[in-house]
Amino acid sequence: MTNTQISAGRARSASAPPAVSVRPPARERGTRLLTALFLTPTIVGIVVFTVVPIVGSIVLSFFDWNVIDPPSFAGGANYREIASDSTVLVSFRNTLVFMVLAVALQLVIALSLALTLNGRMPGWLRSVFRSAFFFPLVLSAASISVVMKYLFNQDFGVVNWLIGLFGIAPVPWLTSEHGAMATVIIVYVWQQFGFSFLLFVGGLNNIPKEIHEAAALDGATGPRKHLAITLPLLSPTLLVASVVGIINALQVFEQPYVLTDGGPGDSTRTVVMVIYERAFEQLRFGEASAVGVLLFVLIMAVTAVQFRLSRRFVHYQ
Amino acid sequence: MWMTDSHLSRRALLRYGAYGAGAAALAGTAASWDRLTGADIPGRDDGSLVVATLGSAFDPAAVQALSAGFRKLHPDVPLRVNAVQAVDWSDFFAKILTQIAAGTAPDLVYVATEGVQLFAQRLGVPLDRWVRRDAAELREYFADVHPSLVESMMYEGSLHQLPVEFNAADMYLNRQVLNRAGAGFPPADWTRDDFTALLREMKRSSDSHFTPYFWTNRLWGGVVPWLFDNGTNLLAESRAPGGSWLWDTFYPAADRAGRGGGFRWTTPQATSARVEETYDYLASLIQEDLCTRPEGGNGTNLVGVFSTGRVGVTPAGGFWAGGLHLAGMKANAYDVQYFPRWRTQRMQFGAAGYAMLRTSKKQDAAWEFIKYAARKDVMTELFTANQTTPARRSMLTAGRYRETGPTRWQVFYDTLDKFPDTGPIPAPPQVAEVTDVLLKYTGTALASPRSVAPALRRMQGDLEQAMERAL
Repeated sequence: MTNTQISAGRARSASAPPAVSVRPPARERGTRLLTALFLTPTIVGIVVFTVVPIVGSIVLSFFDWNVIDPPSFAGGANYREIASDSTVLVSFRNTLVFMVLAVALQLVIALSLALTLNGRMPGWLRSVFRSAFFFPLVLSAASISVVMKYLFNQDFGVVNWLIGLFGIAPVPWLTSEHGAMATVIIVYVWQQFGFSFLLFVGGLNNIPKEIHEAAALDGATGPRKHLAITLPLLSPTLLVASVVGIINALQVFEQPYVLTDGGPGDSTRTVVMVIYERAFEQLRFGEASAVGVLLFVLIMAVTAVQFRLSRRFVHYQ
Repeated sequence: MWMTDSHLSRRALLRYGAYGAGAAALAGTAASWDRLTGADIPGRDDGSLVVATLGSAFDPAAVQALSAGFRKLHPDVPLRVNAVQAVDWSDFFAKILTQIAAGTAPDLVYVATEGVQLFAQRLGVPLDRWVRRDAAELREYFADVHPSLVESMMYEGSLHQLPVEFNAADMYLNRQVLNRAGAGFPPADWTRDDFTALLREMKRSSDSHFTPYFWTNRLWGGVVPWLFDNGTNLLAESRAPGGSWLWDTFYPAADRAGRGGGFRWTTPQATSARVEETYDYLASLIQEDLCTRPEGGNGTNLVGVFSTGRVGVTPAGGFWAGGLHLAGMKANAYDVQYFPRWRTQRMQFGAAGYAMLRTSKKQDAAWEFIKYAARKDVMTELFTANQTTPARRSMLTAGRYRETGPTRWQVFYDTLDKFPDTGPIPAPPQVAEVTDVLLKYTGTALASPRSVAPALRRMQGDLEQAMERAL
């Protein structure tokens, strides 16, 4: 709206008789209609597939529902139930441990590789590496996990056969508590680091060469150059990579589900696995929704903390 | 944004009034409409008799033959076989329940022992009135099917399914490994100690990449057959009263003795001495490197390692004969024997058949399909590749197993005929939770030394909670 229109409106409301609505000009109305038309599919999509399920889950978390019978109001019983359920508590612990280790490993590997590729290297070789590192990300996590389950089998797997060539005893990758969590993390990071890697490659390309040249003139080389120059300038990319990485890690499902089915015991059972089991295997949809709501709150809280911290640690050029 | 005065014009008032009336009309229509379901999607509910099967249970050609034969017999009943892809029975039931929740429930569902009581209690229709009505027609079927299989399909005195296939957990032995160990094929009355000694011989005669005994952590064929073998069960087992209407009609006195109205699995007994003894035995095999710690899953990689001689012995059912044949194993390269005797030689099985859903509006047509699917000629056409054991005794012949093996194919049905106490896996209506708890704590109990007793204590607590919880 232009200043003239505002002034005209004010003048009219002050001097002219009331009860007159000032309609926007036809062109502006057309623009607004067009905007609304373009936005509608997105808004409808978000409402139907995001807002409604979230609200539905929150409502359902206060009900008992087994699909077969109509839902019955349960008040806070589902939340009380999961608060005292050791499986749920362990799954939150596992998910947090997984998140910390997997995201840290993923970022370190991705950043190291991006820095390495950013050095002197023939263009074609750089393209080969970029494609190779990104490739696992386009594969189905379930398919990868099925293959990895064969590779990490304690008795018949290729991994133990290979380490056996060096005289190392077979490792119970999938059948011991620590081995299973380590394997799930390895498989997850192997598939996921390509995304962070691409972000870092883009971020590094955006750092002006002049800054590095100026730093070199001032005597900054090697690790010092990366710590003092590269990392601060890459901090916005690091923020995005860590936010996306953490959100994805908190929702991990396919890898532990296929590789270990949450075991041995509960050692690799994650929150999303518990949601799936409660809802679709045990038909306790209310409890599953309550766990889902808690995961939603956890993800929101962790993300909020990250953005809060980013004010101190993220430097925009 | 445009400016609006505090007083509305007549035109604006009319416009907002029209919006309000429109919104109210929409809300009213939505509120008064019957709940929309998946069946309201055009083309979803075409009036067919819908039969849901586990996608991998039958091959597409067999499904086509099954459908074509039924259409020929009942041209007035349109039939749609909906093959639901799932990794196991638990996954299959989850998908069927999702269809039911979406309002697109099938009329018939192919249900295995794992889900018999869940479906019977919450979703199924007893077949009693139809079975009574068509007793003369069914006499030949029941005479051909072992009563244990029929009893496993009963719930609280009523019959809910006609079993068409089953798989008992027997022991598969690799002959190449036996020869390498210089061991003969074990006799039918071998004991648990014979079994342990054989594993030791196999281990001694093989390299470090060999595993004498391999098993998968699951309800069927996992720890449960060993519990049966040791004369115990995960849940106290008893029989529901009733069922005499069926036994008296179809089975001779010798066969119906001790039968009831179906199994009841109630009080958890994970901390009982015999259950702990069973786990201790399996833990001792792991300690001795005679078997691996059990992994979860459906044992898909097992066919490969068994057929190549990297595993000597494993529990499996008749379904494995077809699997080993497809993997290239010669008919005489392996053979099958009963589970070794411990305190008992009771073995376990799982069976499957079609359950009719109470939501079905075509129950008479559904019953016609159930009868049709249990006919010998239909089952013969369906079960061609030995991917399961047919429920009809007369279908197990030398000709059927000539190409695939095993040589001792009679073991499959004799597991029922010669051991009439052989019973179904424990599958109460709360089977999903019971299975989850069993698998979880079996993994924990056998993951490290001295963890059996604490794991079983926790298993008992969780099983008690699961069994107390109404579905």
